[in-house]
Amino acid sequence: MHILLRGRDISDIYKFDVYTANGGYEGLKKAVSMKPSEVIDLVKASNLRGRGGAGFSAGMKWSFIPQSEPIKYVAVNADESEAGTFKDREILETNPHQLIEGAMICAWAIQATAVYIYLRGEFWDVAHALDERIAEARKAGFVGDNVLGSGWNCNVYTHLGAGAYICGEESALLESLEGKLGQPRVRPPFPAQKGGGLYKEATVVNNVETLTNAPWILVNGPDEYKKIGTEQSSGNKIFCVSGHVNKPGNYELPLGTTFRELLYTHAGGIANGKQIKGILPSGGSGPIMRVNGNDDPILDTKLSYEDMAKAGTILGSASIIVMDETVDMVWVASKAIKFFKHESCGKCTPCREGTFWLDKVVDRILSGKGQESDVDLINNIAKNMSGVTLCALGDFAANPIIHTIKNFPEDFKAHVEKKEVAAEKAAPAKAAPAPRRGKEAAAQAGD
Amino acid sequence: MVTNITKTVTIYIDDVSYQVPAGANLVDAAKALGNDIPVFCYHPKMSPVGMCRMCLVELGSIEKDRATGEVVLDDKGQPKVRWFPKLQTACTTNVSDGMTVRTNTKQVDQARENVVEFLLTSHPLDCPVCDKGGECPLQNLTMEHGPGKTRMNFADKMHLDKHVPLGDLIFLDEERCIQCARCIRFQDEVAGDDVLAFHERGRSLQIITNSEPGFDSYFSGNTTDICPVGALTTADFRFGARPWELTNVPSICPQCPVGCNTSLSTRLDRDAGGRAIIKRVMPRQNEQVNEIWICDKGRFGHHFSRGADRLQIPMTGNAPASLTRALQVAADKLKAAGSDVAVIAGSSMSNEDLWALKQLANGLGSERLGAWPPTHAGADLVAQVGVGKGTNLSALGKGDAVLIIASDLEEEAPVWRLRINQARKRGAIVVVANARKTQMDEFASETATFEYGEAPKFMADIEASDLGKKLAAANNLIILTGADGLTLVESRALMQSAANFLIKTGHIGKANNGLMSAFPGSNAMGLYYMGFTPEATLDIAQKPPKVLIVAQSDLIADDPSVGEWLTKVETIISLTLFNDALAGLATVALPIQSFAERDGTFVNGERRVQRFYTAQGPIGEATPAWQVAGRIGELLGQGKVKLSAAAVMLDITKSVPAFEGARYKELAHVEPQFPMIQKDVYYGGTAYENTGGLGVQIPTAADQGETLNVGEVFVPETPKVGKGKMLIIPTQVLYNRERTFQSSELMHPRVADPYAEINSADAKRLNINNGDMVEIAIAGASAIRVRAQVDGRAPKGAVILPRHLATNAVPLTATVGSISKVGQAAVVEG
Ligand SMILES: Cc1cc2nc3c(=O)[nH]c(=O)nc-3n(C[C@H](O)[C@H](O)[C@H](O)COP(=O)(O)O)c2cc1C
Ligand code: SF4
Ligand code: SF4
Ligand code: SF4
Ligand code: FES
Repeated sequence: MHILLRGRDISDIYKFDVYTANGGYEGLKKAVSMKPSEVIDLVKASNLRGRGGAGFSAGMKWSFIPQSEPIKYVAVNADESEAGTFKDREILETNPHQLIEGAMICAWAIQATAVYIYLRGEFWDVAHALDERIAEARKAGFVGDNVLGSGWNCNVYTHLGAGAYICGEESALLESLEGKLGQPRVRPPFPAQKGGGLYKEATVVNNVETLTNAPWILVNGPDEYKKIGTEQSSGNKIFCVSGHVNKPGNYELPLGTTFRELLYTHAGGIANGKQIKGILPSGGSGPIMRVNGNDDPILDTKLSYEDMAKAGTILGSASIIVMDETVDMVWVASKAIKFFKHESCGKCTPCREGTFWLDKVVDRILSGKGQESDVDLINNIAKNMSGVTLCALGDFAANPIIHTIKNFPEDFKAHVEKKEVAAEKAAPAKAAPAPRRGKEAAAQAGD
Repeated sequence: MVTNITKTVTIYIDDVSYQVPAGANLVDAAKALGNDIPVFCYHPKMSPVGMCRMCLVELGSIEKDRATGEVVLDDKGQPKVRWFPKLQTACTTNVSDGMTVRTNTKQVDQARENVVEFLLTSHPLDCPVCDKGGECPLQNLTMEHGPGKTRMNFADKMHLDKHVPLGDLIFLDEERCIQCARCIRFQDEVAGDDVLAFHERGRSLQIITNSEPGFDSYFSGNTTDICPVGALTTADFRFGARPWELTNVPSICPQCPVGCNTSLSTRLDRDAGGRAIIKRVMPRQNEQVNEIWICDKGRFGHHFSRGADRLQIPMTGNAPASLTRALQVAADKLKAAGSDVAVIAGSSMSNEDLWALKQLANGLGSERLGAWPPTHAGADLVAQVGVGKGTNLSALGKGDAVLIIASDLEEEAPVWRLRINQARKRGAIVVVANARKTQMDEFASETATFEYGEAPKFMADIEASDLGKKLAAANNLIILTGADGLTLVESRALMQSAANFLIKTGHIGKANNGLMSAFPGSNAMGLYYMGFTPEATLDIAQKPPKVLIVAQSDLIADDPSVGEWLTKVETIISLTLFNDALAGLATVALPIQSFAERDGTFVNGERRVQRFYTAQGPIGEATPAWQVAGRIGELLGQGKVKLSAAAVMLDITKSVPAFEGARYKELAHVEPQFPMIQKDVYYGGTAYENTGGLGVQIPTAADQGETLNVGEVFVPETPKVGKGKMLIIPTQVLYNRERTFQSSELMHPRVADPYAEINSADAKRLNINNGDMVEIAIAGASAIRVRAQVDGRAPKGAVILPRHLATNAVPLTATVGSISKVGQAAVVEG
């Protein structure tokens, strides 16, 4: 059953008429017939948790908004930039009205003045189409002035970012939305507080997938929703599967589905008859899991917030990157650190300098010029970056180093002992760029 | 930041309990307690950003029982502390009751070491050639907290441009920048000129300027003081000297009535024949006057003090003479004139100079003491109802109001503009009222306008208006006048009306209330207290004396009409810094010392008597003006010349009641100030700790409860402008071609070409296009050639003509004249 990827069931549900013919906007109608605080209580009771990564209770977040404030906003996080994450895009493309409806339900619950949908810059075509969908909803009275005759006015706007991963971090998103350089803000005040949100007004920031759940919850009730999933992780989740599987793609399944079911029943099993070596369960940012071949019981771990935490990693945005035995984990660490070096906003010293430094040393190890002490060095640099930065990107950047070393010490050992690493040939790393001077070097460092 | 927090809370730092003001920033609170939490990005004058992560501490709070509110105790009976799981940035933390902080643990030490290590991985470590070396927070904090060894492969370092001019005055070394955003925040939050920004991201994050011309702000130099590394350097000082070679002498900026406290960094210099010269001007903390800021004119305008045009030897009849002989000639001429003598003294002369000149004139039986330039009247009113004792512009905020009338304050007194803009940001109403649009409008919370000639009337009638009511109702009200577009008579009427309004509405005789004026020079109030007035100057021009002493006043460059009457003076005795045109006309020209070569005092616009000290070596045979006047007096049998400036001041304190309590010792008194600017540059920057004295503010008559006498207000008629004529409105621009600024060559690119602003309707009528060369003709003055600026700012019928830009003098005050295009017969456009 699809709650979110309903385009899989009804291919043209992106059309307004088709959406409404299939129960569309009933959730919003229900919400508007209720008191805002009742809507919040209902969503709280459903145990809907944020799908942007942190898994924070959506209803709780909405309840933080001070009702007495005259101006409040909803910001929809459609920056979707985590490596291997491609779920929000499918929602936006194939089931856009449900997101609009979900965002309007949230807006009603906090009595927002406006909704801003912040999309990553590369989603310009998605944004154009979304604008049309919003116009349809406005024409039908679901968005804009006097929504459903309630006397409440709330418009929905799209806004395109300029291609920065960090703008998915909620406070950087708000900075960017205000037209400023996308850098995270000092908190408190938090976005939900006066002074911390968009233009200093209290603001709910929710992920696309989170909000797309809301219409279903309104229509079917929190109890029905809680029947799906596990004790602490209710509802369906879209798992973005990529890497060495036969059928990569999005799979909407109940939270608590095991890796084994996801990978074998749905994603077609491991490609080329190989053995799994590791899984990045949350794109580049979460701790990597060691998998000792396809029979490893770790594959029976449930994909829920609590089970993943128990397994020493995180569910995050559930972008599951599967890597088989041919993959060199030093190369993975290098790829990841290059990504974070490129995406660090540069605000905090440890993240800005640490990613740059790590990249240099990891490259050295990867190219076979490293020493054993270099492995200790990167481990130490990464640890020194952890837990001391303004936003979580500093930790994200440290994770791939700390956890590849912890889980795959033999790969690092092989590199520093200059042994042949079979995998290196299979997936050759990009050669480290030759040093250049001046501006060019700066540009290149941020290649 | 002025805090009048009375509530205190208990916090624990490293297990010792302290009482601190509730809500104070943790870094500030700890600093005040002697615990230096290291910071790079935090600055006590700006909002925290939590970027550098240097200030990480262990943070917790004492657990309290939710129900009873009682402190929860552990098994040892000690209060239980709930610690944050991670280290927290102290700079983004405000203290609250029961807060517990640990700054001396292994974890904190390690975090500090790590941040320094991270910073150094990208740092060029070119300390041996860095201007900041020796007073560099990064150097100091590396010594204190950094790792002894590098783990970064040197070849892995990033190399970037090292000489990026952000503008004409400030250079950026991209390699040295540690991305702390202090410079950006200073420009935005403090200066109010948001011209710097970050560009790119990650390790490519770089400072850029987004103004044209680059780094367009009168306050740019301050960023070099607060930059925690040598990334920002001034065109004036870079590669000029090492900080440890410098001797720092407390001084006062001689450029405007703000009276910014400065520190002159001097060195015995090869380029000056081994004498001590000023290598740089730095701000010196005086929280009541300039906090820790100065403007770029004050910072870069010091070169005149050793300009090539300084008069080095006395002249008689245009021939060099010994000082003894020159003084004798002067004495003889004065003696021969009897009491038919007069003095015109400049507004940047010291009180001691003015006092000695007054003694000289009085001794001869003359009371004719003119103030130069005679543009602003009403210093007597500032003495009566000026801002009350204890006034601090930093105290103004919500509920308070400032009315800036007929002043382009940014050009006239920059640091007042900066501080009043901050008051506006704190919530004060700032009203800018003028007959023309100026950039001050941008710093106003509201603007008001009137026609030229109507300023006094506007002020006199303000009471009845909504604006007047709003101002009257303000908790604190300061009226700050200028003479932009006014005649001297109008200036007096404006000051009187302003004084009346303040008296009527009860905004006098207390701190943060009263009258201020953007007088010319650094000591216009001193001129008043020593008995010099602009009205006397006009009288001197009307009835020229036989002998005229002109002291530190550039009459010829300042006023095109002096030629008319100066020729009627038989003998001119010129006491001058420069070998200028007037020195050429003078029978005797006596070189005097600038503010940099001698001791003295100025009275700033807030009536604070402030002391400056001898900084650089003497120039030629120049002597202090008080000595010149005293020695002439001695020759005339007026008694012995005083032995020191201090002795002159002692005399003043005995004779001028306002100066009671302004003896040199009292002027040198210092008290602890907040934030604590000390030699540990990491916290406040390289602004100087004030060791030279905070000065003494003269109480007003209102402060003393004396009877006030504003005088009958004479509101002059609005001037009639005949057909074909225009109002010529001389204005002040900060960067100009005055002699006291000309020698600062680095400023030349920033000095505008001579221009005049006219209204587009007038321009059309007169067939003048933007950029055309025009000629402005005024009766009794040589034609003034400038470029026309048709930019929609000038009011109709007026020519806005900045003084001291064009070669020929521009009238001192508003007058009538005509404007026409040069060289081309008028063509009527179709
Ligand atoms: C570096 C960084 C990048 C992030 N990127 C995204 C993103 O692309 N999309 C997203 O929804 N949340 C992202 N987040 C999480 C958001 O900060 C925020 O927690 C989320 O939008 C809240 O929505 P939710 O409660 O509905 O999950 C990111 C967080 C960090 C620290
Ligand atoms: S941790 Fe990195 S991305 Fe996050 S604010 Fe700091 S520098 Fe920017
Ligand atoms: S130039 Fe200086 S003040 Fe500006 S960000 Fe860089 S280090 Fe900080
Ligand atoms: S504001 Fe005035 S006193 Fe202060 S530095 Fe500038 S010119 Fe000098
Ligand atoms: S982060 Fe606190 S001083 Fe920089």
